[in-house]
Amino acid sequence: MAAPPDRPFITMYRGDDDITTVTFGEFIQQARRQAASLVAEGVQPGDRVVLIMPQGIQMMATFAAAMLVGAIPTILAYPNFKIEPSKYRYGLGGVTRNLKARLTVIDEKFPDDLLSHVTVEDAKVVRAVEGVEAGVTSFRGVAATPDQIAFIQHSAGTTGLQKGVALAHSRVLTQLQHVAQSLELTQEDKIYSWLPLYHDMGLIACFMLPLAAHLHVVMQSPTDWVVQPASMLSLISEYRCTLGWIPNFTLQFLARRVHPDDRKSFDLSSLRMLINCSEPVRAQSMEEFCAAYADCGLRPNVLQSSYAMAENVFAVTQSGRRGATDPQRIWVDSRTLKDRHVIEIAMRNSPGALCLVSSGRCLANNRVRILSADGQDLPNGHVGEILIQSDSLFTGYYNRPDLTAKAMQDGWYRSGDLGFVVDEELYVIGRKNDLIIVAGKNIYPHDIEEIVSSDPRIHDGRAVAFGLFNPDLGTEEIVVVAEVQDEREIENAFSIEQAARNAIVAELGVAVRAVYVRPPKWIVKSTAGKAARSTTREKLLREQPELSRAEAL
Amino acid sequence: MTETEQAQALLNYLSSNVLRRPGIKLTADSSLVASGLIDSFALVDVLTKLEEVSEMRIPAGKVRPKDMDTVNLMLAMAKRVGKPRQQK
Repeated sequence: MAAPPDRPFITMYRGDDDITTVTFGEFIQQARRQAASLVAEGVQPGDRVVLIMPQGIQMMATFAAAMLVGAIPTILAYPNFKIEPSKYRYGLGGVTRNLKARLTVIDEKFPDDLLSHVTVEDAKVVRAVEGVEAGVTSFRGVAATPDQIAFIQHSAGTTGLQKGVALAHSRVLTQLQHVAQSLELTQEDKIYSWLPLYHDMGLIACFMLPLAAHLHVVMQSPTDWVVQPASMLSLISEYRCTLGWIPNFTLQFLARRVHPDDRKSFDLSSLRMLINCSEPVRAQSMEEFCAAYADCGLRPNVLQSSYAMAENVFAVTQSGRRGATDPQRIWVDSRTLKDRHVIEIAMRNSPGALCLVSSGRCLANNRVRILSADGQDLPNGHVGEILIQSDSLFTGYYNRPDLTAKAMQDGWYRSGDLGFVVDEELYVIGRKNDLIIVAGKNIYPHDIEEIVSSDPRIHDGRAVAFGLFNPDLGTEEIVVVAEVQDEREIENAFSIEQAARNAIVAELGVAVRAVYVRPPKWIVKSTAGKAARSTTREKLLREQPELSRAEAL
Repeated sequence: MTETEQAQALLNYLSSNVLRRPGIKLTADSSLVASGLIDSFALVDVLTKLEEVSEMRIPAGKVRPKDMDTVNLMLAMAKRVGKPRQQK
């Protein structure tokens, strides 16, 4: 059923004097006009269309337009001042080569001096058409078949960018139905979001879901939110939003970075669920947020959790369906967990007890299995790799059958996440493959290690990067240790560190917490002669006690 | 406070409260974010300090991280978009 044309769809907030709202009717008109323009550029069904545009209505309309045409859109991060243009171009080249994209769409305000950086391979670059004009909106769209790819999602990082998650129309729609059912969505719901649209939480939960369920979504860009985090709470209060998705760190960020005097003006009573997703869920972060905003009308159990990934379109699990006790929490013996990878229930707040928060139960037609390192199914309460099977799994990594084959096992998706099941609840506790998750953004240690090793003063292949949970931020931070080629270079440790910081930001857009420069032969090697990440990490933590506070967890 | 004093107050704050690496000499033109010295999370603390030293209220949605990359850029941005605090 079509959405009522007069119902508000997107409110884009860029500041108190810069707020735009479009209705469903206006949005569809804008998407049709954009679709006609894509067709005029030669885009045909099945063509890949890359979108490099600032977060906003125009980008969303262009995405919908590409789908109307039967093309396959994908959103890539907009260049920012932190990323070195040549590095940005290199990353973009990798993606467009793999996609064999027909067209790259940029916005009308895209700076001319950056144009050369988006012009790669054979993809034509065009500027999106702005606004809605009468008379050119007759384009009705191309009917899609269920197995046709609807769009492609790219995760962050240099290595990750090569992995475009291809999602079929039927899988996306099935997932949206499951999510709507698990959240008991009604027409009264209204979504708040600062999430980037190239991320599954932003794209699926805060764009596709409201589009399909005819809900109003109030948005701002991640950069606008991060410099003024209180704006999120002002918008929820003003627009009476009922739902939102956030990575874990957001809770502590809001609790610590919004001045107590400002909190008095918030009325958060409309919120029925703020769903913690895309980073391990931390009990401490949830408690801190609830304590900070206790006087703002927060409903009990407003903070819920979910386990989600692009490869399953979005959610695998969701909490909140077991009443007042959700999300479930258990206290476990941390030593047994660390040493034996087994859950031993401990008394609440007893010495060595660790509180773990569940990510909820499986959505309809979603199943999980827990596998040991040698591939055996593990019983409840044992930690292993989480495998997923569902009716919304991805088609594959676009043009990468090698990566797809590696990720799938007999129809199950190997998530690479570590977790366990107790009482049908899934608890996610970490990653198998050392992936670092900084504020919900996936960073591959290998990418950082390559960047650091490219400094000729560093011994090639002798750099190790890992994530360390920072309890003050509620997320992981990146720590790097690197060996110099020649012992005399230790004198230049400061300049090597600065060069590494600069290079990592320029290429990946993230800052690192610390870079340690060490003499030759300091890094622990594996039997294969490669740098051993986990043992090197342990060695550094022993040497640098200031880092080990996080290890209390 | 003069502009020079404002810049110095921000530099002192950055050195003692934000940077985690001792021994770094900062100037009002030192790149902070693009050089990897501070992360985006720290910007909100720096923005609060900027409002305090500039005696301006900086409206939500008017700040871009690139405006916060150096102390001089921050002060220029505060002057451009800030509103005097008493008018709040």
